[in-house]
Amino acid sequence: MVDVNEAILVRQACEGGLEAMQQLYERHSSRVYTVVRRLAGDDDLAADLAQDAWANAFQKIRAFRGDAAFGTWIHRIAVNTALTRLRQLARRRDLEQSFDGSTTLGNPDRYPASGAADRLMVQRALDKLPDGYRAVLWLHDVEGFTHEEIGDRLGIAVGTSKSQLSKARARLRALVVEKSAEVVDHGASNE
Amino acid sequence: MVHLTNEALSELLDGAQVVGAEKHLSDCPVCRGELEVMRQLRSELRELPQLDPPPELWTAIAARLPGGAPARRFKLGWPKLVALQAAAMAAVFVIGLGLGRFIQPDEGATESVPVSGLVAQTPTGPQLPPASLTDALAEVQRLGVQYDVALRNLERMAAEQGAETPSLAAERLASLNALVEASRTALAVNPADEALNAYLFSALQERDAVMRQINAQGTSSQNRWR
Repeated sequence: MVDVNEAILVRQACEGGLEAMQQLYERHSSRVYTVVRRLAGDDDLAADLAQDAWANAFQKIRAFRGDAAFGTWIHRIAVNTALTRLRQLARRRDLEQSFDGSTTLGNPDRYPASGAADRLMVQRALDKLPDGYRAVLWLHDVEGFTHEEIGDRLGIAVGTSKSQLSKARARLRALVVEKSAEVVDHGASNE
Repeated sequence: MVHLTNEALSELLDGAQVVGAEKHLSDCPVCRGELEVMRQLRSELRELPQLDPPPELWTAIAARLPGGAPARRFKLGWPKLVALQAAAMAAVFVIGLGLGRFIQPDEGATESVPVSGLVAQTPTGPQLPPASLTDALAEVQRLGVQYDVALRNLERMAAEQGAETPSLAAERLASLNALVEASRTALAVNPADEALNAYLFSALQERDAVMRQINAQGTSSQNRWR
C-alpha cells in the first residue's frame, strides 16, 4: 500500500525541501543506522556510512520512482554504501580472512544454556567478527541475500560466500560461548 | 565418532541435503546440539533490536545537502562542491555580518561589516568566474574564516533577540542579492551543475518572497525569518 504522506514528503524532497528530507530521515533513520551499524561493527564507521547513505539518497532522490517503498529504497542504498566501503577497506585488509579453526564442537558442556546467548552477547560477538565474515553472515541470515547476490556485492565467488558463512557462524558461536563463560566466571568471582 | 564439519552444519541449517547427515544426527547428540545452537543464534541475530543513530547525525547530513546548513568541514578537491560551498558560505557570511552589526552596532567593529558596505563592494552585473580552481579554493577558505565570524553573530542574535525586526528584511534582501550573484558566479564555472542551479533557483524564489514581503508590509510590520 502506498503511504500517501510519505509520497508527499518524497515529492517535496525532490523539490529540495529540507524539512521533508528531515521527516523522511526521522521515519527511517533507525532502520538505516541499524543495518550499517551491523555491517560496520563499529559506531564511528556506522555514523559515517549512515551520513553517506542519506546524503547520497537525497542527492539522487529524483531517481526514486516509487516502485518500492521509500524505506526499501533507502535501505538498499544503505546496504550498498556499507558494502562499497567494506570492499574498499578490504583492499587493505584482505576480505578473505583466515579462520583460526577454534570451535566448540565436541564439547557439549560449553553450549550456551537456552537464553544465555542473549542479544547483548550476540551483538558484541557480531562486532568482533572479521568484516568479511560479519558482512556475509548479516546479509545472508538477516537480510536474506542469496550467495549469488552476496558474491556480486562483495566481489567474491559464490563458493567463497558459502565458505565465509559457515566460518562466520562457527566463529560467532565460539565468541558467544566465550562471552557466556565470561559472565559465568564473573558471577562466580563475586560470590 | 567423527562429527559433522562446520560446513555441513551450515548447509543443514540452510535446509540443504548433506549425504549421511540425517543418520549421523540421529545418533549424535553433540552434532544435534550444535545444530540447535546455530539455529538459536540465527534467531538471536534476526531479533537484535533496532538502533538509534547519534543525535547529531541529521545535522551532518543536512550540511551536505543543497539548501541545508552550510558545511563547516571543507571537502576540497571537488570543484562543483567547492563552488556550491562558496555560494552557500557567502550567503551566510553576508547575512551573519549584517545581523551582527544590527544587533551590536558598537562592538565587534573589526568583526562586523555593514551589509550595505559589503554589497557595495560587490561588482554589479555578472561576475567573472574564478581564474582557476586554486583561486576558487582560496576564496572558499577566506569565506570560511569570515563565515565563522558571521555564525557567531547569528548565534548572538538568536540568544538576544527572538524575532526579526522590519529593517532586517532589507538586510536580508541585500544578502540574497549577494547570494544570487555568488551562485551565478559559481555557475559560470559549471553551468550544468544541478545542485547549483537548484540553489540559484531557491535564492531567486526567496528573494522574490522577501521583496513581496517588503512591498506588502512596508517597514512597520513584523517580518518573517526563516
